[in-house]
Amino acid sequence: MKQFLKYIISISISTIALLYLCDFIYTQVYINSNPRNKLQYILNTKNESFDIIFIGSSRVANHIDTKLFDSLSNKKTINLGVEGAGLNDNLLQLKLLIANNNISNVFLQIDSNFEYDKPSNIAISEAMPFLNYNNIINTHIKKYFNNFEKLEYIPFYRYAINDPKIGFREMFFSVANKKPRTNPSIGFTPKFGNKLPLIESSLPKTIKLKNIILDEITDICRKNKIQLTLYISPYCSKTKNMRYIEKLITKVPNLIDLSKGYDDKLFFNCGHLNNQGAKIFTTNLYNATKNKIKS
Amino acid sequence: MLFNSIDFAVFLPIVFFLYWFVTNKNLKLQNFLIVGSSYLFYGWWDWRFLSLILFSTIVDYSVGLLLSKEKKKKKRIVLLWTSIVINLGFLGFFKYYNFFLDNFVTAFSFFGSEIKESSLNIILPVGISFYTFQTLSYTIDVYKRKLEPTKDFIAFSSFVSFFPQLVAGPIERASNLLPQFYKKRIFDNSKAVDGLYLIIWGLFKKIVIADSCAIYTNEIFSKYESMNSLSLLIGAIYFAFQIYGDFSGYSDIAIGTSKLFGIDLKRNFAFPYFSRDIAEFWRRWHISLSTWFRDYLYIPLGGSKVSKLLSFRNIFIIFLVSGFWHGANWTFIIWGILNALYFIPLFLTNRNRNNLDIVSKGKIIPSFYELISMITTFFLVIIGWIFFRADTVSIAIDYIKKLFSFNFENGLQYLSIERYTPELMILILCFVIVEWNSRENEHPFFGKWLNFKLILTLIGIITLGVYSNVTDFIYFQF
Repeated sequence: MKQFLKYIISISISTIALLYLCDFIYTQVYINSNPRNKLQYILNTKNESFDIIFIGSSRVANHIDTKLFDSLSNKKTINLGVEGAGLNDNLLQLKLLIANNNISNVFLQIDSNFEYDKPSNIAISEAMPFLNYNNIINTHIKKYFNNFEKLEYIPFYRYAINDPKIGFREMFFSVANKKPRTNPSIGFTPKFGNKLPLIESSLPKTIKLKNIILDEITDICRKNKIQLTLYISPYCSKTKNMRYIEKLITKVPNLIDLSKGYDDKLFFNCGHLNNQGAKIFTTNLYNATKNKIKS
Repeated sequence: MLFNSIDFAVFLPIVFFLYWFVTNKNLKLQNFLIVGSSYLFYGWWDWRFLSLILFSTIVDYSVGLLLSKEKKKKKRIVLLWTSIVINLGFLGFFKYYNFFLDNFVTAFSFFGSEIKESSLNIILPVGISFYTFQTLSYTIDVYKRKLEPTKDFIAFSSFVSFFPQLVAGPIERASNLLPQFYKKRIFDNSKAVDGLYLIIWGLFKKIVIADSCAIYTNEIFSKYESMNSLSLLIGAIYFAFQIYGDFSGYSDIAIGTSKLFGIDLKRNFAFPYFSRDIAEFWRRWHISLSTWFRDYLYIPLGGSKVSKLLSFRNIFIIFLVSGFWHGANWTFIIWGILNALYFIPLFLTNRNRNNLDIVSKGKIIPSFYELISMITTFFLVIIGWIFFRADTVSIAIDYIKKLFSFNFENGLQYLSIERYTPELMILILCFVIVEWNSRENEHPFFGKWLNFKLILTLIGIITLGVYSNVTDFIYFQF
C-alpha cells in the first residue's frame, strides 16, 4: 500500500506540475506571439491614433469593409467586430483601446445584443491568457465572472474550458507564427455566396428595460470625448419580430436604422450579408453618418 | 456521478481511504461501505430511483433463497418467472412503455381506428438495463443450480450495486463477482497500479477521443442534409470513434476503479475495430452483453445445435433483442437486424469462428488480406452506426443515400464549431496506432518508456481534452 500511495502521490504531483507547466507555456506563447486575434492586436497597439473604430459582433466583422470605409471617409478605420461578441465584450475592447491609444469615433452595432449584459464566453476567451498580465482584463473578468477564482488560481483551467478558442490548436499556430485568416489590423471578414432559401431568423418579442453596459460605453465615450455612433445592420426579409427594432429605437433614440431594404441575394444567411452586400451596406452607412464623423 | 467529474475525483479517494484504512479489518463493514458508497454514487444522479435498485435486490435475493429450498420443479419455475416478470416489468415500463404505446396508436390509426394516446413523461433510470440483466443472471444461474444462492444480503447488495459498474456495466455474472465479496480482499500493489493505468487510459478515450468526436458528429448529423459524401463518411467514422471511446473508456475506468478495491471485473472491449469479420467484432464489442445474450438467450433457444433454420432464427432473435436492449427506437432494431444480416452469411458458410486469435499477433504490420478484412468490417460497422446515431430510420436512410451519392463537391466542408477536421483526423490516426500497438494488452502502459507514455497521456488529457462542453457517457441512456 505504501508503494502504491507513493506512486499515486507522484502521479498527482506530476499532473499538477504539468498543469502549471502547460499554463505557463500557453500564457507565454500568447503574450509573446504575433497577434492572431483582435484582442491580441488591441493589446499590442500602443500610442496609435484611430479616426474610426467599429466594434460589435460578426454583424460588424462581416459587414464593414474597412478599406472601403477608409477610402470613402479618408480616415484611419479599423473593424474590431468579433464573432459571438456582445456589448460586454465590446466594452472590454473599448477600455483596452483607450488605455493606450487615441480614438476619435466609435461605431457600435446594436441589435438583439441589447438584451444581454453578460460577457460572451466565445469572445472573452481571447482575453484569458492576459488575466494576470493586464489589470483592465483582470478587473473586468473579476466583475462579471462567477468562476473568477477558478480562472485565476487553478492552473490551466482558463485554457481548458476555452479550448475551442485558445486551446492546443490556437497555441500551436501561435508558436508556428501562422498567419490568421483575418488580418486583425484590418478586421473585415467577408462571407461569400448566399444560402437560398434563407433559414428564418427571429428577433426577441420583448425588450429589456435598459442595458447598463451600453450606458457604460456611452459614459466612457463622453468622458473621453469620443463620438459614439450607434447603428443597426440589415436583416433578411424572412426575419420574424421586426417590430423589435421599433422598440429598440425607443430605448436607443440615436440609433441609425439600416436594418431593412436589402435584397435577400445580398445575404450569406439571414443575419449576415455577403461580400457584395457588405460593400453596399458600408457605402450606405458612410452616407448615413458622414456628417456625424468627428475629425 | 460522472467518472469525468470533480465530484468523482473527490468521492473516489475518500471511499478508497475508508475501504483500505478504516473498514479493512471487517469484511461485512467493508461490503457495507461498498453498498453505502454505491447508493451515494447512484443517488447523486437521482436518489428516487435507489428504491428500484433496492427492490430489485430484495426480490432476487429472496427468490434465490426460496429457490434453494424449493425442490418441486413447477414451483421453481414460478419463482424464476416471478423474478423475470418483476425485473423485466420495471425495465419494460421505464424503457419501452411510450414506445409500445406510440406504435400501437400508429398501428390502430393505420387500420382506421382512433385510440386516445396517454403517453407518460417517464424518466429512464440510469443503468436499469445493466443492473436488471445482472440480477437476472443471478436468479437464472441459481435456478439452473449453477450457483449457490447467497445468504449474505450485504454481499448480494454489493454485487447488484457495485458503483464502478452500476450504471453502464460491464454486466457482471454472479459467478464471477459475488464470490469476491465473500472473501477478504488483500491489497495488491500491481493490481492497483494496473487499475490506475486503466483509469487514465479510459479518461483519455472519453475526454480526448470521444468528446472531440462528439462535437463533429453532432454538427455533421444535425446538418447532414447540406453535407457532401466526404463529410458524411467522416461523420460516420467520427461517431464510430465517439461511441468506442465513450463506452470502452467508461468500461476501462470501471474495471480500473474496481481493481483499486481488489475486485476483478470482466473485460468488456478487446479492440473491436481490429476485427476481421463481424463475428469477431461481436466477440470484441460489449463482450459482457454479447456473452449474456449467448448464455441466457441463444443457448437456451438451442444455439447452433439445432437445424440451420432454427439456428438462423436464434441468431436473428439475439441481434434483434440486442438492438432493442439499447433503446426504444426503431433505429436500434434496424441496427440489430442489419448486424444479423452481416452475421448470417458467415454462419451459413461456417466462417463465424475463423478469427478467434489476435490479429497479426507478434507482428508490427498486418498482412494485406488482414488489412482489407479489417477495413471492410469497419465499413460495415459504421453503416450500422448510422442507424444507431440517427434520430429516426428515415434520417438514417437519407444519410446513407447521400453518403452513396458520391458527391465530393467542396471537399472537406467547414463546420461552424471553431474546430477543424484535419486535426481530429491526425488525433484519431495517432489513437489507432497506439491501440494497434497495445492490442495484445489491455492498455498502452507496458514495456519500455512506461513513465514517458504516462506523462504523454496526461499531457494529452490536459491539452487535448474537451472541457468546454462536458457530456454524459452515451451508454447511460441505455
